[in-house]
Amino acid sequence: MMEYGYYPGCSLTGSAKRLDQGVRQLCKKLGHILTEIPDWNCCGALEYGDRNELVSISGENLEKARGMCKEIVVPCPACYKNLKDADPDRSFNILSPLELLSVENLSQIQQKRDLKGQVFFPYYGCLLMRPEGNSIKNRNIMEDVISAFGGEVNGENMKDRCCGGNQLFLNKWATEKLSTLILGKTKGTVVVFCPFCHMAMKTFAEGRKVIYLTDLLLYVMGENNSL
Amino acid sequence: MIKEKDHEIVFKYTGYRREDFSVCLGCKICASVCTVNDLAQNVNPQELLMKLFVGEKIEDDHPLVRYCTSCYRCTTACPWQIRIPEVVRAVKESLGMESRFEKAFKKSLNIWGRVYEPFVVAMTALDLLKGGYIKYMPKWMGYAGFHLPHKVKRIKPTSAPKGLNPSGEGRS
Repeated sequence: MMEYGYYPGCSLTGSAKRLDQGVRQLCKKLGHILTEIPDWNCCGALEYGDRNELVSISGENLEKARGMCKEIVVPCPACYKNLKDADPDRSFNILSPLELLSVENLSQIQQKRDLKGQVFFPYYGCLLMRPEGNSIKNRNIMEDVISAFGGEVNGENMKDRCCGGNQLFLNKWATEKLSTLILGKTKGTVVVFCPFCHMAMKTFAEGRKVIYLTDLLLYVMGENNSL
Repeated sequence: MIKEKDHEIVFKYTGYRREDFSVCLGCKICASVCTVNDLAQNVNPQELLMKLFVGEKIEDDHPLVRYCTSCYRCTTACPWQIRIPEVVRAVKESLGMESRFEKAFKKSLNIWGRVYEPFVVAMTALDLLKGGYIKYMPKWMGYAGFHLPHKVKRIKPTSAPKGLNPSGEGRS
């Protein structure tokens, strides 16, 4: 059992509530304790041109966590990047929930359902993979999860392409073109971990399911009734 | 249009110094991986860096400034790992090209300390209507939900902002 600080970020209190609930439920099942950073504020996402201001906004969150925890679980990839940028000395261990999973601990999960060869496209997008030094450690963890529970993985060469999610409300044609490019070269259920990617893919995927990895894991553990 | 003298604000925003861009090899690998070029925009991020380095004007409506998705493919490919999306973002802010959506985002953060999505939607409702977003509503029902805003008590970080040199002497 491990105890972590928890930084949900703004979208997880609204449009990505499903991811928030999934992460909390998954961590509980894995025996981890998440304690929300009190009164956390927005990380600034990708909306600030002034890096000083952006780093200062995320620095506030780290100040609020100081003395409370050293390890902070951050599900949203934009928040994950910003909190890491605000902590160049790595005085905190900023972790994506994906980094709480490993090939070793997957074998300890009590599997109640099998994915039965169903095809999945694990899609990481940008900010879990880039920039260098900020990315998650195991860049194949979603593939590992899908394979471990009997699913078939598809779309390896498209997994870190950009869906254009942050252009959705600025130039939606651009998001449509980038998302459909990815969708056109892959098949199966799209598995994401980013709220931006979820919305972009969901908006432009015709007849394809878009789920969070937490949905898949909870299904395998017997929690969700369907994918 | 950003004039030469206004370039200083881009350097101030990004923490880069003018000479940091002198290392650019002109390899254009940033252009070869740029997501904006998947949109047939024919952009070359290296050209933007060179304009900042030599002090040339940057036009309004530059396609890179308009369409950069902050994917960081350029940064990963760059031999010097220059964070071009952050330079582009700084140029965008200097040009005053922020959309109503981006302004609403920041306004929400100023009021509550967090992004309150119903507020952003209300502030941009006209754009959403005009932009033809209504047809996506059936797909977006799963994102809907109402909660009251939570006003965050803001603090000032006790230490200096980290991640760049606050004295403006460039990035470490």
